[in-house]
Amino acid sequence: MSEIANIPWSLILPVLVLQLILMVVALVDVIRHQRTNGPFILWIFIILLLGLIGPILYFIFGRKQA
Amino acid sequence: MSSLNALLRKEWRENVRNFKLYWIPIVFVIFGILEPITNHFLPEIMKSVGNLPEGTDFVWPKFRGEDIFVSLMGQYQIIGILVIILAFMGSISGERKTGTATLLYVRPMSFSQYFLSKWIVVNVIVLASVWLGFLAAWYYIRILFNPVAAGEVFAFLGTYSLWLIFAVTVVLSLSAWMPTGGTAGLSILILLVFQVLDGIIGTYWTISPWKLSTYALNAFGASVDQSDFWMSVGLTIIFIVLLVFFGMYMAKRNAAKTLV
Repeated sequence: MSEIANIPWSLILPVLVLQLILMVVALVDVIRHQRTNGPFILWIFIILLLGLIGPILYFIFGRKQA
Repeated sequence: MSSLNALLRKEWRENVRNFKLYWIPIVFVIFGILEPITNHFLPEIMKSVGNLPEGTDFVWPKFRGEDIFVSLMGQYQIIGILVIILAFMGSISGERKTGTATLLYVRPMSFSQYFLSKWIVVNVIVLASVWLGFLAAWYYIRILFNPVAAGEVFAFLGTYSLWLIFAVTVVLSLSAWMPTGGTAGLSILILLVFQVLDGIIGTYWTISPWKLSTYALNAFGASVDQSDFWMSVGLTIIFIVLLVFFGMYMAKRNAAKTLV
């Protein structure tokens, strides 16, 4: 377990925070509008499971323009 | 001028509502932070998960801070440009398809101001995102490697910004001309495939917009022949102006294709 302690969290934390912001914004948008290309449940899983790529994919391909 | 103002405000509001104003900068900043971190910890990462045989002695190249800027620009040249193309390929063609354009085109609006409003707002978003990404990287490079002089960084960013404006102009003018799918295909051809071609057979010419990123790296002491730098800058600016006029003309000509 000592390897986990060696990870320089102070350096990586900003990345994690930014990723979390992206994920939360994408999720809130999916749940509020539920108008997506394809089933919106699928998009929720894509956003949650694909890390950084998931929210990007959603914003580019998933959002249906009003 | 007041109608350009109104169009600019409409563009801005649209980009706030479709979150492009937020997610594009965040994506560029994440890449900008990850590049120095992964390069700095690469030896340790390889040691713990790389499956190297016992006793392998691998000499890692010693990176300077400037090298990280070069490799980050390499990332942006592929992933960043792809994000720009995919995010803005529908800027004008999408409005025609969804019918937003119908609401606009019935108003007394000049198509040059319409195109210009999009061009300005998209350029602001893209330039701000890339600059934030490089500034974030600069900070991390300072911590993990060596400080890079501000003069070098801003000289690099200045030249690289011109290439980005060129890329945005290509995407927007194609979007005015073709449907979204065609825009994506042709933009990828012009901005990504040409870039690779220029890298392979580009030694035969020295003046081209695709050379700008290489010239930009000169700020970090890369030894690239700089004699045709200003010619390339001039040519790129001419291309940008021509493409803007082409986009304005096409936006007007294709107005009839709007779905009601």
